[in-house]
Amino acid sequence: MAKQVLSFTVNDEPTEVLVRPYETLLDVLREGLGLTGPKEGCGTGDCGACTVHLDGEPIASCLMLGLQARGRHVRTIEGLGRMAALHPLQDAFVRHGVPQCGFCIPGVLMAAAAVLAEHPAPTPEEIRYGIAGNLCRCTGYTKMITAITEAAVAVAARS
Amino acid sequence: MSTPMKTTRDVKGVGLSIPRPDGPEKVTGRVEYVADIQPKGLLHAKLLRSPHAHARIKRIDVSRARALAGVRAVLTAADIPQLKKKAPTRAHAVLAIDRVVFVGQPVAAVAADELAIAEEALDLIDVEYDVLPASVDPLRSMQPGAPGVADSGTEADTSEAMAHGAVAVAKTAEAAPAKGANVSQQSKLARGDVAAGFAASDLVLEKTYRVPMVHQGYLEPHAVLAQWDANGQLTLWASTQGSFNTRSEVADVLEIPENQIRVIPVECGGGFGGKIRALCEPITAVLARVTGRPVRYVMTRREELEAGMPAPQVIIRLKAGVKRDGTLMAIEGDTVLDTGAFSGTVLAVSAVLLASLYKWPAFEIRGVEVLTHKPSVAAYRAPVAPQTIFAIDSHMEQLARALGLDPVEFRRRHLIVPGDPMANGQPWQSNGAVQVLDRIAAHPLWKGRKEWAASGGKDGRGLRGTGLALGGWLGGLQPTSATVRLNPDGTLAVLTGQVDIAGTNIALAQIAASAYGVDIEKVKITTGDTDVAPVTGLSAGSKTVYTVGTAVLQAAEDARRQTLEIGASELEASIHDLDIVDGRVTVRGMPDRGITLAQIGKKGNLYMSKVQPVLGTARPSFTQQAPAFAAQLARVEVDPDTGELTLHEFVVVQDAGKAINPLGVEGQMQGGAVQSLGMAMTEALMFGDDGRLTNPSLLDYRKLTAADLPDIETIIVEVPSPSGPYGARGVGEPPIVPAPAAIANAIEDATGVRLTELPLTPERIALAIAAAAGSARR
Repeated sequence: MAKQVLSFTVNDEPTEVLVRPYETLLDVLREGLGLTGPKEGCGTGDCGACTVHLDGEPIASCLMLGLQARGRHVRTIEGLGRMAALHPLQDAFVRHGVPQCGFCIPGVLMAAAAVLAEHPAPTPEEIRYGIAGNLCRCTGYTKMITAITEAAVAVAARS
Repeated sequence: MSTPMKTTRDVKGVGLSIPRPDGPEKVTGRVEYVADIQPKGLLHAKLLRSPHAHARIKRIDVSRARALAGVRAVLTAADIPQLKKKAPTRAHAVLAIDRVVFVGQPVAAVAADELAIAEEALDLIDVEYDVLPASVDPLRSMQPGAPGVADSGTEADTSEAMAHGAVAVAKTAEAAPAKGANVSQQSKLARGDVAAGFAASDLVLEKTYRVPMVHQGYLEPHAVLAQWDANGQLTLWASTQGSFNTRSEVADVLEIPENQIRVIPVECGGGFGGKIRALCEPITAVLARVTGRPVRYVMTRREELEAGMPAPQVIIRLKAGVKRDGTLMAIEGDTVLDTGAFSGTVLAVSAVLLASLYKWPAFEIRGVEVLTHKPSVAAYRAPVAPQTIFAIDSHMEQLARALGLDPVEFRRRHLIVPGDPMANGQPWQSNGAVQVLDRIAAHPLWKGRKEWAASGGKDGRGLRGTGLALGGWLGGLQPTSATVRLNPDGTLAVLTGQVDIAGTNIALAQIAASAYGVDIEKVKITTGDTDVAPVTGLSAGSKTVYTVGTAVLQAAEDARRQTLEIGASELEASIHDLDIVDGRVTVRGMPDRGITLAQIGKKGNLYMSKVQPVLGTARPSFTQQAPAFAAQLARVEVDPDTGELTLHEFVVVQDAGKAINPLGVEGQMQGGAVQSLGMAMTEALMFGDDGRLTNPSLLDYRKLTAADLPDIETIIVEVPSPSGPYGARGVGEPPIVPAPAAIANAIEDATGVRLTELPLTPERIALAIAAAAGSARR
């Protein structure tokens, strides 16, 4: 199948890339654009490792075709913070020792960022349900929830 | 082992909760896993896998696949002369020869320019199978006349047990003479007169406990990238728990010398035992050799679930006799481990734990490993211990309840203490089993269990109960080595080959800091590949801090001694009067007389200098295990109509010996608890009678999420191990062990029904409650 041009916005940058019609958004990001932060843990939308934001909403990028993102805004973990200036969520995850193997972390952070966008002062239940689509096998969720709760305060103070 | 030198205690090192330094790399998505590496000319591999559990391959035609544009190689077993029909291990069964023995077994391999082309090529490979009857259920597989799994003459593979240091503690030579069909290993441990013990018992309880195959569940599927250079050197970028082990296995399978293989351990996205043994590395290497291009293979989740290397299915029949006053008399057990299509379980661990944890005067524990037409198994965090503790701890709880005794007091009375003989006759090493049990019994949730139970069953609330369980791990051992260098600026460089998954490198760096006498900021630790790192063991069996930590400790002491020797010469002082304080070697009591570590480091790297560089080395081997125990407590609520189980509180108490990095230890305790609870409540690989997996996705293979679980409370107990660095014990395995028993005990406390088959699903709970109500009415 011939490649087509996909024009969309990725991490605030206008982006054009040639993609095959059957490629998922995750494939386009990882293979086409070299944004390998989002991970493929299952390919069926069950693990959450590929979570990115589409127009601000968290989605499983493995379940969406790349071409469906035409004209839309995609944000990946690469667009959440930088090494020099970590997002409060990233900073809290490091300090609380959340990452072990680290494979689930980009997806969890994008899900957590979406929780904070919806609930600036989230309850533990709102956090639990907000990251319930993200599986972690190393650290579990206790430290994550603590870190997200703490980061919410920092984010609120920042804005 | 050398006597530890007196080291400077006043440094930032052991005992502090220090976040791992590669954390920012992980939270920004910058850290690279195998699937993230994109070399020039990369080809993508796919495997054609058997749709049948047992079949003869009559014909394979790959001509249509080879003709597809973009396909660079299509291989069958006929193309790989090193392959043997009798594959001694799963890794050797690179591609099937003549016969397939489980659903998902690789039959042909493709490398193509794009993944989609490789997938399309699989559809163009024509395989004609002659489907044969399959042995799927382990008990039926043992019966005479069951369809055979192994080609005759296949030997038991005990290397898995070796990797976990388990065989050393459980030599079980006394195998029963009559071997059933498909039985690949047998063991027996016995002491005393079991029949007499039962005859003198007031109460004999017999139950059979069943645990299905479960998957380790690492989020990153198996992945490997292979490339050969013009000199015939193979480089493997691998997601592995042990690069040296991967190198040895690939060399063995492909019959090439180890010094022609370089294994680079890329960031590993979780292993939990499932990434110890080679799996897809050999075929990927062959595809790379045939095509002359870098080839990457990444398993899909479906392939992981259908044809990974899960934990064995376990069936344990236990019969135990006690006196009315709670005196233990005798225990008899039969363990069946379903190993799938290739031998490789740690049978001995189950036998030792069943008969050794409590002081049975007479016991007879028999074990068999059975081959079936299912994916072969591997280690899963504390292999076979959670399943075994589910049986023995459930049994102890029921005995206590039947006798009207306090369940903690009953366990406590019979629990081993260091020096007591294990079932294999060896003495129990120092351990904190009693301490963790006492600590959890002192927890307010345990003390308040009667109030919790009384609050249930009214005002629309479900039945409420509390349960606890005690389990542990004997501790793994493996020789290993490490180096510690002093840099010209006075910082330290630690080098091992240790694959850091859980954050062990920061703990090792903390050990180096404390042993040498500098702050942690001055220590950098590197995981080298197999070409540069000193030989290092697996990241498995709860032995990284215990064994590699010892190597780093000794290497840092060696570097410290060398540093002080240079300081003594430079300062014209006795080495015994010297100390390392604030980055300087100084004479005690004369703080002005000193030389900085930077000066010593520089002199070791200066043109025409006579000062030797500082290079501390250590290469310890080990004989003494450090058993580590965890106790877990669950407060639950059960809906008696639907069987829905709500976990309200969960507590982990664990003996870490010495928590080198408490933050990391807590992460292990909580993560291990989540896996243990998954095994208890939701996880099962479910096979149909035809040997096909009926739940090959993460939607149907249900792992626990943040919405399923309460916060997990952690309490670290420190009973120092006399042989571990700073008293440390392994911390990885113990927290996955107790939850299945703790939850089953809590359910009985809430409902009065005893469940003996995992997972403890709402369906099973509701049916058991209904059955109990029915029999009460009758």
